[in-house]
Amino acid sequence: MVSKLGKLTAGVALGAALFLGAGAITQAQDAKHTIVTVVKLSGIAWFNRMADGVEQYAADTGHDATQVGPASADAALQVQMIEDLIARKVDAITVVPNSPEALEPVLGKALDAGIKVIGHEASSLDNITYDVEAFDNAAYGRHLMEALAQAMGGEGEYAVFVGHLTAKTHNEWVDAAIAYQKEKYPDMTLVTDKLESNEQQQTAYQKTKELLRTYPNLKGIQGSAGEDVVGAALAAEEAGLDGKIKIVGTSLVSVAGPYLETGAIEMISFWDPAKAGIAMNKVASMAIEGKDVTDGMDLGVEGYNAVKLDGKVLYGQAWVDVTTQNMGDYDF
Amino acid sequence: MSPLARIVATPQGIVFLVAVLFALVLGFLNPAFFTPSTLLDLARNGLVTGIFALSVMLVLASGGIDVSHTAIGAFAMYATMKIVLGIDMDLPIIAYFAVAAIIGAGLGLINGVLIGGLGLNTLIVTLGTLSFFRGALLTFLGTTYITSVPREVIDFSRTILIRIENGVGQMVSLPASFLVLVAITIALSIVMNFTMFGRKVYAIGGSEEAAQRIGIRIKRVKVLIYVIAGAIAGLAGMTHVTLSRMANPFDLVGMELNVIAAVVLGGARITGGHGTVLGTLLGVFVITMINTTLLMAGVPSYWQKFVIGCLIILGTGLPIVFDRLAKYRRRMARPLNA
Repeated sequence: MVSKLGKLTAGVALGAALFLGAGAITQAQDAKHTIVTVVKLSGIAWFNRMADGVEQYAADTGHDATQVGPASADAALQVQMIEDLIARKVDAITVVPNSPEALEPVLGKALDAGIKVIGHEASSLDNITYDVEAFDNAAYGRHLMEALAQAMGGEGEYAVFVGHLTAKTHNEWVDAAIAYQKEKYPDMTLVTDKLESNEQQQTAYQKTKELLRTYPNLKGIQGSAGEDVVGAALAAEEAGLDGKIKIVGTSLVSVAGPYLETGAIEMISFWDPAKAGIAMNKVASMAIEGKDVTDGMDLGVEGYNAVKLDGKVLYGQAWVDVTTQNMGDYDF
Repeated sequence: MSPLARIVATPQGIVFLVAVLFALVLGFLNPAFFTPSTLLDLARNGLVTGIFALSVMLVLASGGIDVSHTAIGAFAMYATMKIVLGIDMDLPIIAYFAVAAIIGAGLGLINGVLIGGLGLNTLIVTLGTLSFFRGALLTFLGTTYITSVPREVIDFSRTILIRIENGVGQMVSLPASFLVLVAITIALSIVMNFTMFGRKVYAIGGSEEAAQRIGIRIKRVKVLIYVIAGAIAGLAGMTHVTLSRMANPFDLVGMELNVIAAVVLGGARITGGHGTVLGTLLGVFVITMINTTLLMAGVPSYWQKFVIGCLIILGTGLPIVFDRLAKYRRRMARPLNA
C-alpha cells in the first residue's frame, strides 16, 4: 500500500514536472503553438481519420497539435471541453461543432481570452477567426454533375436525390448541378423533381424502382445523402441494369464499397477529414502568428491550393473522387 | 342488402374499394401500372411494413398501442449482426432470424412487464421504450453501418421466388424474404382465430373489466402479447437486413406512424377489440401503394406527403362514417313501438 502510494506520488510529481517543463518551453520558444481540435464525436472512423491528419501536422511542424472529442455527439459536452481549453490557455481551438448556435457563447469567450478559433463545417458561426470549408457547395454540385455527364456521354434522362427536401447543403449541391447541366449539357434532361430519400437506403431503393418503371430510358442518377447511391445501385442491380444506369453521388467507401466494386456505382465523392484537419491547423498557426489569410492563397494541403475567401470563410476544392480503382485507399 | 352494400359494411371492404379506386386512377394516369410486375414490387416494398403491421395489430386488438416496434426491430437487427459477426461462425439463415426474434422478444418483455405487470399506459410506455431502445442501440452497440454482412445473408437476399421481366425489359423479382411474412401471417392467423390466447386478446381489447370477470388473467396475457409482438418486430428487423444487404442502426425508426396507419386502415381500432390479419395486410397493401406509386402518377415530391395524409384521413375516416350511418339507418328502420 505504502509503495503504491509512493509510486502514485512520484507519478504525480513527474507529471507536474513535465507539465511545468512544457509550459516553460512554450514561453521560451514562441514558435511552438498549442492547438487543440475539438470534434463532434470521438471514436468513429470519420474523426479517427481527422485525428490522423492532426497527428501528421504535429509531426511535420513540431507544434503541439492534438484532437479531443466527446463520447457522444452532444453540443453541451463540446462546450465543457472548450471551457477547459480556455482555462488551459491554449493558443488556438479548431472546432467541428455539433450545433454551431450552441457553441457561439463559449467561442466568444475563447476569442475574448485571446484564443484563435477556427471552425469547420460551420460557415454560419460568428465568433470565429476563420472557418475552413472543404469546398463551396455550388462548385461541388457542378463537379458531381460533370462526373455524371461524362459517365452518361453528355446526353439522356437523369434524376436527382436529396436526403431531405429541407436539407440546405443537399439542395445547394443539387440546384447548382441542375443549373450547370442546363447550361453545359442541353441534351440531358431532368425527368422529375428532386426526390427525397429521408437518408434511408430502402426509400432510395423504392423511389429508384419507381423511377425506372416510370422513365424506362433513365440513364443517370445523382445522389446527395450517403445512402442515396447505395439504394439506387441496389434497385438498378435487381432490375438487371447495373452499369447501364450511371450512379454518381456523395457517399463513403464504408457505405458504398460493395457497389463500387461491382460497378453498379460509377463514382462517389466526399472530402478527406485528414486533409481538413491539417488545413484547419495551418490556418490556426497562421492566425496565431498574425499572418493574414488571403483569397487565392495556397495552404500547402492537397485540395486547399487556391482557397476562396468569403468574409471569414475559406473554401477549398478538396473533394475526393473514388472509383473502383482507388477505393482501397480509404478505410472510412 | 345488395352485395355491394354488404362489402361496404365491413371496414376491410371499404379499404379494398379504396385500393381498387386508387389503382384505377393510377392506371388511368400511367398505363404501366397494370402489370404483374407492379404487384411484385408492391409485395416486395410492403414486406417490412407488413411484418411490423402484424405485430402492431396484435397489440391494437388487445386495446393497447405500440410505437416502439420499429426501435425493437432496429435493435434486434443490429444486435443480431453484431453477435453473428462477433462469434465468426457459419450459421444457417434460419439461426439469424431466430436470434433476432429472441432479442425482439426480450425487448418486448420489457414493454410487457411495464404494461401488463405494472399496469402503465401503453402509449406512454412504448413512447418511452422507443426512445430507450433506440438510445441504447446507438450508445452501446454502435452507430456505424455494417456493410460487410455475412455470406449467408447475401445469399439469402439473392434467393428469388419469382422473377419476371416488365414491359420495358427490366427484371422484377420477389425475394425469398417474402416467406417470412407468409409464415408470420399463417402463424398469427391460427393464433388469433383458433386458440384460447387469441380469444383472450380480443376479449381484453373489447372490455378489460368483462375479461377479468370471466376469469382471464389479464396481466399474464398482456405480457405474452408484448413478447410475441416484440419477436415479430425482431423478425421484421432481420428481414430488413436481407432486403437492404446492410445493417444501418439509423434505419426503421421513423416508419412507426406509417405502420400504425396501415393497421388502422386495415380495420383495427385504436379502442381495441377489432383487427384481423387479412384486413391488416390489405391496409399495408394500400399504404404501400400510396407511398410508392405517387411518383408514377406524376405527383411532385412536395405534394406526396400531403396526398398521403389526405388518403389516410379518408381511408380511416370513411369506415367510421359508414358505421355510424348504418347504425343510424337501423335505428330509423326500427318500428316505434319496439
